[in-house]
Amino acid sequence: MFHYSELSKFFWLSMSITYAFCLSKLYTYSTIPELNVELNNSVQISITMKLTAVRLVVVAIVLSVFPVILFRFFKYAKYFTVALTAWAVAIYIDDIFILTDIIQYPKSGLIRLIESFRLIMIICLLWMSIELTFRQVSVGLQYGK
Amino acid sequence: MENKNINDLELSTILGTASDEWSNDKNNVVQSSTFRLILSFINLYALILIALFFMVKGNLVLGINNNFLETGFSSVLNSRALLIFLLLISLNISVYFNVGFKYICLIMMVYMINSAIDNAVLFSSFMHLTDRPYISAFHVTRPLFIIALLWVFIIHKDKEKITKN
Repeated sequence: MFHYSELSKFFWLSMSITYAFCLSKLYTYSTIPELNVELNNSVQISITMKLTAVRLVVVAIVLSVFPVILFRFFKYAKYFTVALTAWAVAIYIDDIFILTDIIQYPKSGLIRLIESFRLIMIICLLWMSIELTFRQVSVGLQYGK
Repeated sequence: MENKNINDLELSTILGTASDEWSNDKNNVVQSSTFRLILSFINLYALILIALFFMVKGNLVLGINNNFLETGFSSVLNSRALLIFLLLISLNISVYFNVGFKYICLIMMVYMINSAIDNAVLFSSFMHLTDRPYISAFHVTRPLFIIALLWVFIIHKDKEKITKN
């Protein structure tokens, strides 16, 4: 049986970066001064904040569920990670290419800083997915011998 | 020909091994009829959705108020239709070669759920079910499409599983 203890240090590093990014994003959006949003309260910003709130709820659920899947249901961890990566990429494509005329993030330095790290998080998730999917295991262990 | 029996045994062993190792049949995983039926539904649903969008965009469907297309919804639908089409092509290629089907299916499922959430949050204020019944029908039945994707994801037979058995 392929176990989580066989995962490389890069995997754990990638996971730490991803968690750090998501937690800092949660912190930033939950503590953003309301005045800052209201001053620039265009329709685009309010829609963006609404959409971000929905996404952050999903992120919070995922952050709490992922360790459970990784440590208890390791067999399904690769599918879960691939789904998360696909979601992160889909959101990125949506924000940059599809919804570019519709949404607008508040002009806050902290939000811009957090958003600029998004690509790094996607790369980390990609690495996690690749490692969980293609990591070589010894033949004896593969069939549960 | 004194050792005819032994030779026959050797021959059958060689042929047996060869058929196990090199048989083309082993790579051909026959999917169940349910799988094929649901996959046909997925293809049909996605293609009708894409065709309907281009018909609405080209003003070919009568009785629909097209003002909503000027609100930025048009470019969003355009990009989404293109992405769904690309994902559909990838899904069919992965089924044909039986490589990475589950991953493509998972990606398509996540993409559909994400776009449904986005549409619900961004365009719920000016989207009414009765205004555009053809498009609304697809928005309402989208969970059916996602369930169909989940179903084929579960019942798909991998090449690895067949080889192990």
